[in-house]
Amino acid sequence: MTAMIEHSGGAQRDQPDAGAGSAYRRTDVLTQHAVEQFLYAEAQLLDEHRYVEWIELFADDVHYWAPTRMTRTHRERDREISDVHQSAYIDDDLQYLKGRVRRLTSGVAWSEEPPSRTRRLITNVRITPREDGELAVTSNFYVYRSRLERHEDWCVGERFDVLRPVDLDATGYPYVVADRRIVLEQTTLLMPSLSILL
Amino acid sequence: MTPPVNELVDADRGYINPLVFTDQGVYEQELEQVFGRSWLFLAHGSQVPKRGDFIQTYMGEDPVLVVRQKDGSVKAFLNQCRHRGMRICRSDQGTSRTFTCSYHGWAYDLEGNLVNVPQEERAYRNEIDKSKWGALKVPRIAEYKGFYFGTWSADVPEFEDYLGDMAYYFDAVFGRWDNGVELVEGTSKWVIDCNWKFASEQFASDMYHAEVSHASALIALHEDPAFWAGTSHQTLMPGRQFGGNGHGSGSFWADSIGFSESMYNSPALSEWVTANADEALRNVSEQQLLKVAGHNTIFPNFSWLAGPATMRVWHPRGPGQIEVWAWTYVPKDAPDEVKAAYRRMTQRTFSPAGSFETDDGENWTEIQQVLRGWKARNNTFNAQMGLGHDERDVHGLPGRTSDALSESAARGFYQRWSDLMAGLSWSDIAELDAARQAKEALHQEVQEA
Ligand code: FES
Ligand SMILES: [Fe+2]
Repeated sequence: MTAMIEHSGGAQRDQPDAGAGSAYRRTDVLTQHAVEQFLYAEAQLLDEHRYVEWIELFADDVHYWAPTRMTRTHRERDREISDVHQSAYIDDDLQYLKGRVRRLTSGVAWSEEPPSRTRRLITNVRITPREDGELAVTSNFYVYRSRLERHEDWCVGERFDVLRPVDLDATGYPYVVADRRIVLEQTTLLMPSLSILL
Repeated sequence: MTPPVNELVDADRGYINPLVFTDQGVYEQELEQVFGRSWLFLAHGSQVPKRGDFIQTYMGEDPVLVVRQKDGSVKAFLNQCRHRGMRICRSDQGTSRTFTCSYHGWAYDLEGNLVNVPQEERAYRNEIDKSKWGALKVPRIAEYKGFYFGTWSADVPEFEDYLGDMAYYFDAVFGRWDNGVELVEGTSKWVIDCNWKFASEQFASDMYHAEVSHASALIALHEDPAFWAGTSHQTLMPGRQFGGNGHGSGSFWADSIGFSESMYNSPALSEWVTANADEALRNVSEQQLLKVAGHNTIFPNFSWLAGPATMRVWHPRGPGQIEVWAWTYVPKDAPDEVKAAYRRMTQRTFSPAGSFETDDGENWTEIQQVLRGWKARNNTFNAQMGLGHDERDVHGLPGRTSDALSESAARGFYQRWSDLMAGLSWSDIAELDAARQAKEALHQEVQEA
């Protein structure tokens, strides 16, 4: 992982109120374009419930993870978001992520049958190329959900992705997601379930 | 108008008036009569390992701080400043030496005693008696196998008497390892728009819903369609449901000691549990290991499962809303990879994103929505499954049990609820329960003759 990813998550800081230097990031325009279009395409597949295509965007060794979070004091805020050994809402490998797709397409997954209607806004896409050729990408998301007659809720947060370049002509997409950490802003989720994918 | 509160449920006939799930007046009374007079789960010791460690939780709707003391004991007090009622501590968790109110600065020690008042001389002319203005302490706290429960009630029986035969089912899960369990750090919290009793009652008494509600869960867990028939296969297995003192526990029986690998697809867990069967057998009986594996509730709102290692409190938030606070428990002495396997398997099945869990919330929110209707709210619910088929102390299981597919524990849950809501004293409730049990024995004799 790059320094950016570690620091943005609230891990150790050298000084309590300092981050990892300048927050400014710049990438070449083509990479920025490709990454943004990839993330928008992924959002479209989810909004259109095209889960069988969506699952193809993930690497065999993916860790797809949404840790829990709590309210802590400023002094103890490095312990606000759970680490890999602590609680998570989602802690999947590819095998279980495929299981979620089987469930969502089964016709008997009652929390998504009839399915929720979602609209995803992906913004603030920022890229740090890594030495191994993969890209560390952070983005903000706002996922609005409308369900059944009049239920609505929304998930807002930040995603920390690692994108691995693949053959665009062979797969139709320039990357696969090799790692994803989803950090939600709420500590008590104001929703009956996280039955949608993020 | 609302019928008298003691006529809302008829446990003998299996009738529930849905007003118990919707009425604001009933809810206000519940906070006082049920949550104010029962033992409520506060914390597991592993959440506050060192002195000064604290967590904030709730007893009903009342915020309390649970704090590890200098002498190693655990105490709790209302998280409300005695000056003008500000929330004293506003973190979910942390470590502290004192708790200072951020309104005017009154400071409390780890027990909740008021130890400092700013400007005491000028503002109060040193006339305030600080010993009288400590935070409201939870007067009774019980520790049972590393779990802490608290109550505001002076009359409720000691915790072990309150548990009664439920102790057998609790011990089977939490008492089987030499050094007990610990909670994975961090709480999953989420909000469901439903009455708290739907959740509590289901974990006490409802194996019946699994086959239909959770039809998709095995599809998520297994790639092989041959496994997907698994839940219906399970309903062919023998099993029993226990109900007593308002608590409930139900399981299908296993034919060998070990973790149900086929169900949860977790060979690492199966192997470790099988390899450590001797330790479990030193602490609990073989019967307990084979016959206690399912759903559980300690009245009123503390529940757990014994397959996926989830444990939770259903905090009431008005008649139509709950906050679920859920944890994963793991054997304290298990190696890290086994703990990780428990954690992942549990979170994938029972968490706000879990393949079982999401479908439970869906049922409860829909029920609550429908109950907005006037006709719907006056339409009696049927809780008659297994009515008249309870037995006592059979199959090696203590207490009143029935088939695993039964609502015996639900009827017991609502009976206890009703007795408390009627304002009966704890000694009256004990007498009534003894009389009911005597009647039950008579009935059993008549049936046998
Ligand atoms: S309300 Fe706490 S000091 Fe005034
Ligand atoms: Fe369920």
